[in-house]
Amino acid sequence: MSDPILSLRDLKLGFKTYEGLVEVLHGISLRIGRGEKVALVGESGSGKSVTARIILGLLQELKAARISGAIHFDGADLEKLSRRERQALRGTRMSMIFQDPTSSLNPVFPIHVQFHEVLRRMDRNLTQKQGMQRAISLLTDVSIPEPERVLQAYAFQLSGGMNQRVMIAMALANEPSLLIADEPGTALDVTVQAQTLHLMRDLVVRKGTSVLFISHNLGVVREFADRVYVIYKGRIVEHGPTDTLFSKPLHPYTKALMAAVPRITGGGIPDIAENSEAFLDPMIDHEVEVPA
Amino acid sequence: MRRTLSILLSNPLSVIGLLLVGTVVFSAIFADFIAPFPSHRGAVVDFSNFNQPPHWPNIFGTDLVGRDLFSRILYAYRISLMLGVVVLAIAVPIGVTVGLAAGYLGGWVDFVLMRLTDVFLSIPPLVLAMSVMGVLEPTLTNGMLAVTTMWWPWYARLAYNVTRSESQEGYVLAAEIIGASRLHIMFREILPNCVPSIVTKMTLDLGFVILIASSLSFLGLGVQAPTPDLGSMVAEGGNYLPDSWWLTVFPSLAILIAVFGFNLLGDALRQVLGADQ
Repeated sequence: MSDPILSLRDLKLGFKTYEGLVEVLHGISLRIGRGEKVALVGESGSGKSVTARIILGLLQELKAARISGAIHFDGADLEKLSRRERQALRGTRMSMIFQDPTSSLNPVFPIHVQFHEVLRRMDRNLTQKQGMQRAISLLTDVSIPEPERVLQAYAFQLSGGMNQRVMIAMALANEPSLLIADEPGTALDVTVQAQTLHLMRDLVVRKGTSVLFISHNLGVVREFADRVYVIYKGRIVEHGPTDTLFSKPLHPYTKALMAAVPRITGGGIPDIAENSEAFLDPMIDHEVEVPA
Repeated sequence: MRRTLSILLSNPLSVIGLLLVGTVVFSAIFADFIAPFPSHRGAVVDFSNFNQPPHWPNIFGTDLVGRDLFSRILYAYRISLMLGVVVLAIAVPIGVTVGLAAGYLGGWVDFVLMRLTDVFLSIPPLVLAMSVMGVLEPTLTNGMLAVTTMWWPWYARLAYNVTRSESQEGYVLAAEIIGASRLHIMFREILPNCVPSIVTKMTLDLGFVILIASSLSFLGLGVQAPTPDLGSMVAEGGNYLPDSWWLTVFPSLAILIAVFGFNLLGDALRQVLGADQ
């Protein structure tokens, strides 16, 4: 297998509490090839977001966190980097999009100021004018009409969908090799969410950005991802190409998760906790070839 | 800006506050031109006209050595305001930096800085200021120093609280994730969001600093004669109550106007800036 942009091997995470060590991730292994869109699916509290934070190097600074396992980003061992080196990676070679775009923008600065700060990460000498031009072209990429006007606005003056586009443009501004999307747009309404997701997909495909897509929304995942990892209680329970996984899920938890999607034809939603012992069955890995 | 002003002007109390503060600031700045007897700010003696009740041209009367009380009050305003501004100019940056660092960095930084702040807060302010003045010489500079030592912890606590809640906001995490440094996040992301509460408190405090400084000089620990100071004027006149009432009443009213004005204005600002969020 050729060298992936990101690989996690047997990643474990525990938090030190007064009652002792609580293990949250019990050995997560996943890899993302270059230009690949990979989804991490699971219910709330399954460990999706902490995984993202470890990749970004945010939990490593937390004293109570105990992390073990190997994290390789673009060939480099993340655990061997210093705090500053990890900080230098963020926003330049890896980037992230959040659930709620509006609260992710600072309310006291207009958009263009925040854009400028992002762009300056790559080019310290960027002038105000150059920054504006770059920002305008980036906002045009995410189909924002009148980008000049949007740049002068504050986040609270724009709609959620607009802010989401701004966030996508900012996250991709420095052409990162890896984009982590943590339940992007969950705070938005469904049509706007679908629009911005399509837009994001087209953009990452065009730029060849690898994506780790974190979600609990199976419909969205099916549209977006090439491969899917299903995570349950800090373990990967099933992994495979999106089509295979959706057409014939094998692990009891994956089956239950898919059955839990409400259908317009009715029929009750099964209680997902019903035979939860089977959910801890060993991982099922569908045959996959990770592209380079 | 225009909106802020229109909200301010729509509330009669804010208008009164603005007028009072305007009067105080105006008379402090232009004391040289308004005061009928500018030389009376210093050690001037006129025994032919001492301890006189209000009459023309001494509209507030004269003090025990014949100086015009009105002129002295105008100059006292200048000193009080300067003291207030200088104290806040030193106390606010110190306090805010401490609060930001403790609130954002957390951990042992939080523990050390905030416990230190608590130590300062646990001593009654006037007692702390008095002890500082007692150790040092009672001069204007030391007065400022004394009041500053008791003032910065309040800003540390205010900034700490705001920082703690702002740190939970999405934009802070977003800034961390695009690789912003801690200093950048503290001063360029969180601080601008603290500005409304800090400015409001500063306006309110300007009145209280004047009050505390006057209390210190009332106790004889502040500005020394012959420099005019509202607190020492009240203290001096207190010995001659009720016969020479003007010696006490006018300086006291002057303190009242300043403190009341800054309070009203601070309250108004709190409403305006709070509504902005």
